[in-house]
Amino acid sequence: MYVAVKGGERAINNAHRLLAEKRRGNTETPEIETDQIEQQLSLSVARVMSEGSLFDRDLAALAIKQARGDLIEAIFLIRAYRTTLPRFAFSKPIETGKMDIERRISATFKDLPGGQILGPTFDYTHRLLDFTLMANGQTPPEAAQGDQPVDDTMPRVLDDLLNYEGLIQDEPASADNDDAPVADLTREPVSFPAGRDLRLQNLARGDEGFILSMGYSTQRGYANSHAFVGEIRYGKVAVEIEPEELGFAIDIGDIDITECETVNKFKGSKIKPPQFTRGYGLVFGQSERKAISMALVDRAMRAREMGEQIMGPAQDEEFIMEHSDNVQATGFVEHIKLPHYVDFQGELELVRRMRKEIEARAQSTPETKAAE
Amino acid sequence: MENTQTSQNTETGAAYNFAYLDEQTKRMIRRALLKAVAIPGYQVPFAGREMPMPYGWGTGGVQVTAAVIGPDDTLKVIDQGADDTTNAVSIRQFFAKTAGVATTEKTAEASIIQTRHRIPEKPLRDDQILVYQVPIPEPLRFLEPRETETRKMHALEEYGLMHVKLYEDISRHGHIATTYAYPVMVDGRYVMDPSPTPKFDNPKMNMMPALQLFGAGREKRIYALPPFTRVESLDFEDHPFSVQSWDDECGMCSATDSYLDEVILDDKGNRMFVCSDTDYCTERQDAGHRGPQHHDQPLGGKAAE
Amino acid sequence: MTAPHTTSGIAPDLLPGFEHDAFQSNAVFRTVLDAMSRPGNIYNLPISIAAPDGLNETATAFALAMIDMDTPVWLSPACISGAAITHLKFHCGCPIVDDAAKADFAFARLDDDLSFLSRLAVGNAEYPDQSATVVFMVDAISDHPDMILTGPGIKETHMLSVAGLPAAFHTWRRENTTLFPCGVDVIFASPHQIAALPRTTRIEVK
Repeated sequence: MYVAVKGGERAINNAHRLLAEKRRGNTETPEIETDQIEQQLSLSVARVMSEGSLFDRDLAALAIKQARGDLIEAIFLIRAYRTTLPRFAFSKPIETGKMDIERRISATFKDLPGGQILGPTFDYTHRLLDFTLMANGQTPPEAAQGDQPVDDTMPRVLDDLLNYEGLIQDEPASADNDDAPVADLTREPVSFPAGRDLRLQNLARGDEGFILSMGYSTQRGYANSHAFVGEIRYGKVAVEIEPEELGFAIDIGDIDITECETVNKFKGSKIKPPQFTRGYGLVFGQSERKAISMALVDRAMRAREMGEQIMGPAQDEEFIMEHSDNVQATGFVEHIKLPHYVDFQGELELVRRMRKEIEARAQSTPETKAAE
Repeated sequence: MENTQTSQNTETGAAYNFAYLDEQTKRMIRRALLKAVAIPGYQVPFAGREMPMPYGWGTGGVQVTAAVIGPDDTLKVIDQGADDTTNAVSIRQFFAKTAGVATTEKTAEASIIQTRHRIPEKPLRDDQILVYQVPIPEPLRFLEPRETETRKMHALEEYGLMHVKLYEDISRHGHIATTYAYPVMVDGRYVMDPSPTPKFDNPKMNMMPALQLFGAGREKRIYALPPFTRVESLDFEDHPFSVQSWDDECGMCSATDSYLDEVILDDKGNRMFVCSDTDYCTERQDAGHRGPQHHDQPLGGKAAE
Repeated sequence: MTAPHTTSGIAPDLLPGFEHDAFQSNAVFRTVLDAMSRPGNIYNLPISIAAPDGLNETATAFALAMIDMDTPVWLSPACISGAAITHLKFHCGCPIVDDAAKADFAFARLDDDLSFLSRLAVGNAEYPDQSATVVFMVDAISDHPDMILTGPGIKETHMLSVAGLPAAFHTWRRENTTLFPCGVDVIFASPHQIAALPRTTRIEVK
């Protein structure tokens, strides 16, 4: 006797209850609060905001908690929430030149107007586990205050310094036209070739690990665009909108961002003197790994524009853009755990039939078999 | 826009719009659907939204259903032909919650049927809509991974590569080795992926009285087959298209004309077959049909014959 | 990318739109979907709605259900009016364009100069969906066998008759058929009924 499996609905509900219990863990341990995540896991929060395309620290912290710390799951939660939000306005382009700087370094000049500001960075920490943190250690001593505030004017290395001599390519249709339409892949289907606006949006939302590996591949010869970090800056910038009925811009709040501009291998031609080229990275919060990788891949994907030969996957915009999104990727990769009984049955039927035919053929020609 | 985002789902009192999607998104999908119907088999790009379920789990079908469904519809959701597979249950719950619509497991009672991997055995009527969940909408994708190239191939009706692939199967295996997602030619113009339904279901698509809509969420494509549209499975004169058949009958309802799932009974090689279409099987059992493994029958009924 | 439509300066004589946007949009869309899926079949408009000068009820309902800020609209000389423009701008937020070639949707009547039809976007071989839809407001539609239709969506044949359909329409429509998969889709909207001729439908004129 056979009784078909039933009760999918009850199984799902029970699975959700068990999941909630597992998320909570041992109840003798105090429940983690979202503001602890927001404050103390701020780099996770930054990643979820960047790849979730939504600047909201509290929601990102909630998503991380709900996702049990699985950042891709948290990004997915944020994306699914974001897509239901109405659009009230489009902001003016942010002005990173007016950033309230916490960190700013250049790898191309030893010193420069505004100086090198080290800021909060893991860069020179020795990667030794700090067991005092495990022992619920002491509050760290307050960081030292500098004698003087950072300069008000912090010129951008590429636009304000290199461009002064005309040594770096102009960005076509960049800052000059604030009102030019900007593509949005969450609102329009992507088609190829894609404009740089669409590519940059895709990279900003792209999986940190994927963009990192693709950026890395450009350094190992799967592209030809050696890069210097012209500048990385991290800090706060104001977001402004200009409501139609007001006719002037109003400040709606600050966001913290990391911006990276790379100076890349020069090019030139008979008519054009040699000039450096550039790559650009911008992410929410502090993530230099992602911002640098993004700038490398951005530059590599400009191969078509620069008339370069495509030598590696990072230069292939269709390959990069179709595979960078971790919410898409994880959904499709994991979907193969869904039932495929019906398709597999089709394969079984065919394989059995083909084997049967081969057997039948072998039996009907015994002489040839014997001769073998 | 005074008319977007604001309408509340009065049935559920939830903060989401009727059928989850906002009205502007629905309009965008509806426009894509009309184009898809006007160009049968052509894949219309649409700005697929992020849904609260994973890509690859039916987000395309869900978006199409959300754009089509109205308060008077009755929805059936199947996965592998069954209403009680977990993903079908989950999607059915989603619409019961966000649209407050009636749901059913009976093929005949549904006005909209969302499916993954099967077409119901019971012939569909002209007042029904079949919505397919599609993972990879491009039938040429495994021959040519680039969208820029496959789009050109469709534009030029350059389908030679597909025939070559199928013919290579024949020379290597003696058979066309494609058993599901078997490509079809729509109204003599577009080669189309029928979604990963077994080729057993391909003939049902031809001249079907119901409207067939296909949604691929991750790949952001919508396509359609209007009712009564010619749908031919690709084949060759010396190797005509044929569908799967089984030596066994359904263990529960004794059907021999339906697509069967294989159920492994033990680790000694014992197995049985049951209809993958659970409603079809239940209806037959209710009408008194009995297969050898039905609980009204003694165990191993077939062997006793 | 378009900034959200603002509703400042509402005209006092503005007519209302859908009472319940989600349900009525859906009802109208389903009727249009049925009409497109079964070319030549005639469907009743499932709701009633106030129409501004220049548009009839069916065309107005179609516009409110299908059109928004992302879809430019062209209005023919026979149906353009201040009231129609205000109505569409307010309820749909759509741009109204002067050049038919830039429109996603065109509204016209059969006594218009039909030369605009050949200016409408037909899409291209790779993206035949990037084409326009034309809505003809007509006095009456019936299943009198003036036109015998075949093609996808039609089991054997469908019959269609549109009051006052000029020869110029058929000339253009024959041309349109040769462009497939490119082409323009046609919707006939009588005051309370709708029928469609997608690009796939073959017409035999009796």
